[in-house]
Amino acid sequence: MHKDLPIDILNSVEKPERYTGMEFGSVIKTPEETEVSVCLAFPDTYEVGMSYLGFKILYGILNDVQGIAAERAFAPWMDMEGKMRERKIPLSSMETSRELSQFSLVGFTLQYELSYTNIINMLDLGNITVLSKERREEEPFVMVGGPCVFNCEPLADFIDFAMIGDGEDIIVEVAQAYKKWQQEGKPGGRKGFLSRVVQIQGVYVPAFYDITYYPDGKIQEVKPNNKYAPKKILKRVVKDLNTVKYPTHPIVPYGTAVHDRIMLELFRGCSRGCRFCNAGIIYRPVRERRKEVLEKLARELVDNTGYDEISLFSLSTADYSCLEDLVKDLLNEYKEERIGISLPSLRIDSFSVDLAQEVQTVRKSGLTFAPEAGSQRMRDVINKGVTKEDLMNAVEAAFKNGWSGVKLYFMIGLPGETDEDIVEIVNLAKSVQYKYKQVTGHGGARVTVSVSNFVPKPYTPFQWVGQNTKAEFDRKHMLLKNHINVKNINYQYHDSTTSLIEGVFARGDRHCGKALYLAWQMGARFDGWSEGFSFERWEKAFAEAGLDMSFYNARVREKDEVFPWEHVSPGVERSFLWREYEKSQRAELTHDCRRSTCTGCGICQNLDMKIIDWKDDSAK
Amino acid sequence: MKLRLQITKESGIRFISHLEYQATLEKAIRRAKLPVAYSQGYNPHMKFSLASALGVGITSDCEFVEIELTEDMELAKAMAQLSKALPMGIHIKDGDMVEKKAPKLMASAAGAEYVVKVPCLADPSDGIHAFNIAAQVIFAKPIPKSHGKTKEIDVKNFIPVVSGKYADNVLELKFSCKITLKGSMKAAELLLVLKDQFHVPIVYEAADIRRVALYGLNDLGHKRPLLSKAQ
Repeated sequence: MHKDLPIDILNSVEKPERYTGMEFGSVIKTPEETEVSVCLAFPDTYEVGMSYLGFKILYGILNDVQGIAAERAFAPWMDMEGKMRERKIPLSSMETSRELSQFSLVGFTLQYELSYTNIINMLDLGNITVLSKERREEEPFVMVGGPCVFNCEPLADFIDFAMIGDGEDIIVEVAQAYKKWQQEGKPGGRKGFLSRVVQIQGVYVPAFYDITYYPDGKIQEVKPNNKYAPKKILKRVVKDLNTVKYPTHPIVPYGTAVHDRIMLELFRGCSRGCRFCNAGIIYRPVRERRKEVLEKLARELVDNTGYDEISLFSLSTADYSCLEDLVKDLLNEYKEERIGISLPSLRIDSFSVDLAQEVQTVRKSGLTFAPEAGSQRMRDVINKGVTKEDLMNAVEAAFKNGWSGVKLYFMIGLPGETDEDIVEIVNLAKSVQYKYKQVTGHGGARVTVSVSNFVPKPYTPFQWVGQNTKAEFDRKHMLLKNHINVKNINYQYHDSTTSLIEGVFARGDRHCGKALYLAWQMGARFDGWSEGFSFERWEKAFAEAGLDMSFYNARVREKDEVFPWEHVSPGVERSFLWREYEKSQRAELTHDCRRSTCTGCGICQNLDMKIIDWKDDSAK
Repeated sequence: MKLRLQITKESGIRFISHLEYQATLEKAIRRAKLPVAYSQGYNPHMKFSLASALGVGITSDCEFVEIELTEDMELAKAMAQLSKALPMGIHIKDGDMVEKKAPKLMASAAGAEYVVKVPCLADPSDGIHAFNIAAQVIFAKPIPKSHGKTKEIDVKNFIPVVSGKYADNVLELKFSCKITLKGSMKAAELLLVLKDQFHVPIVYEAADIRRVALYGLNDLGHKRPLLSKAQ
């Protein structure tokens, strides 16, 4: 526990257990063992942060290095923040109660745009100057990593640098560079250090780039102003996941994490090519771990954690080449020890359902599928590559195996969507209900339709498109609601306004930092939580910053417009994304390159890599 | 065989719930590779139990856990293995190995001893004295999961006497609380009684409560430790 959080405060806040720490597997190094201290800061609650695999990986990798001490900090919930501010208690680490300002490096993970205000707030609570240009010599360097670094421009005012791509190697190189710089007496001060780390491939220092704008607000040019800063920062990649370190001694929370189980990462990347998906581009190419490596890791993780569940983790687990054998092996190996296997996501086919049947012997409550769109035309537009027949086969298999409920995920607001496409969502749900009747002879299937609002993301074929407006989203939700006029279809939807703010920051530029700062000053925190989010506050902040939200979220971009994020690159060719965008307008499909021919995204070539897939037991 | 252990809940993890504490032990037992027994059936569970749930926010020197083993094991070895597998918020104080059929520890628990340190704004002596000489102290004890219903109990049936030491604005209380077939009461409830009925000006929210002992009674009615080794 933070040694400085008194009992009466903990007694007065919600969920005090989230401030506990002292878990099995947490690493506490002595001051003598600590030459470089790194605070891994998660801009959300403990329960959310401790469920995140990247955090475990970096914590393990850093602490394995002699002289580096990695500790953790999480965003205090709003009630706790109030108490901390009242009594001037700074935000500090779980491990040694070290105030954030006393670390060498403070690293935030950018998992989702709506956590940005929490980053600013955590800096402030940790007594770190919020604006990077005002930061004093002795203060820590603030760095970021994670999926949203592919456009971290809205955070440019607050961060010192970003690490792009897989974090395993780069974060250690950065910490070692800090150690060397420190040993040499910190030559050149802060700028001296930044001039050094920017030479590590994958490090992006926003202050080393000047951006000029046209009068209409679009970007004219992005130009390095430091001789070491590259014109384009290409992401870092772990070429072979079989040899990279995987944390086999992760922290085991006392039971408060959302995902409290072993996470076994089968592979990284996904090349199915869904056109809305940012992860599908930024994590390419697909790199699988060998089955034997996974089984060895599973053994160590089981022995070291005591968990009774192994989650087979990846962007699309059913695509793992040796999944059937792996599941069989694991079930055999751990039967005696009563350890279960779980699949976090299902592909829409009966193979996935059969697997789910095999691993899930107890719960028959619900299966989740993501057709993403209701009509075939729309699914072709987004290159989902799934037909109604696929879904019907999958649910038929599920119902035959005893499931009585399914949850279906959809998006609305996709490019080119018509009202007919939306109504098709309801028709699909009704077909699922009917399938249940066909299989079982009686009605009563529970079908949940969960609908989220499409947010165009950078580095996707839809990076050019405009997001729906609030009025459009709300009208479409109403349309859906009115069409779901039968029993047993449960309709869940996401608030459109949070999606709109997400849309602003996903493709925002440096100017958005001003609105971010103002919103934070007006009290914005935990925007990903309904308890924290206020759309009116954001409207006010953008107005005060003199910015138009629709310029960022609703505007259709021109083909050749310079985007704010393009000097940071996952390796994809812009021409590929444009081609995909054009194909989407013709509802044309693009195949998965994983076990077929190259589709020309350029990532393997630009990164000098290859797909690693063990389908025929030989990497391609 | 049944492995019985006296373990702690240290200050740092005081806000972990009983269920989380239990889940933590379960994982530790797995890590320790003890030959633990499982129930039969569709959804087998580990055969271990914790005596008396400790309230959230309270620390303890005397949590008792009983673990059913499928094969004989040397006590010292079992304790050493588990000790290594425990997180830093839990330590083993003592243990014994008994027959599987030995009665549950909790069945013989007759009372608990507490030490409370709590900020107190004025000398509490009068209030504590008044409590100690009172023949009866009625307290409306909330009934769990009853949406605010209470039942009246006589505090003195459970806690006849309290000793208090007051220095530097901190009151240190020591008392025993009986556990009867009809139930018991919480240490925090005694603090409310002292504060509300005897006007002891404690800062209730800041109370540091530690359960220091759980004991049984021998034939003569004297306190005795729960574990057989120490008898």
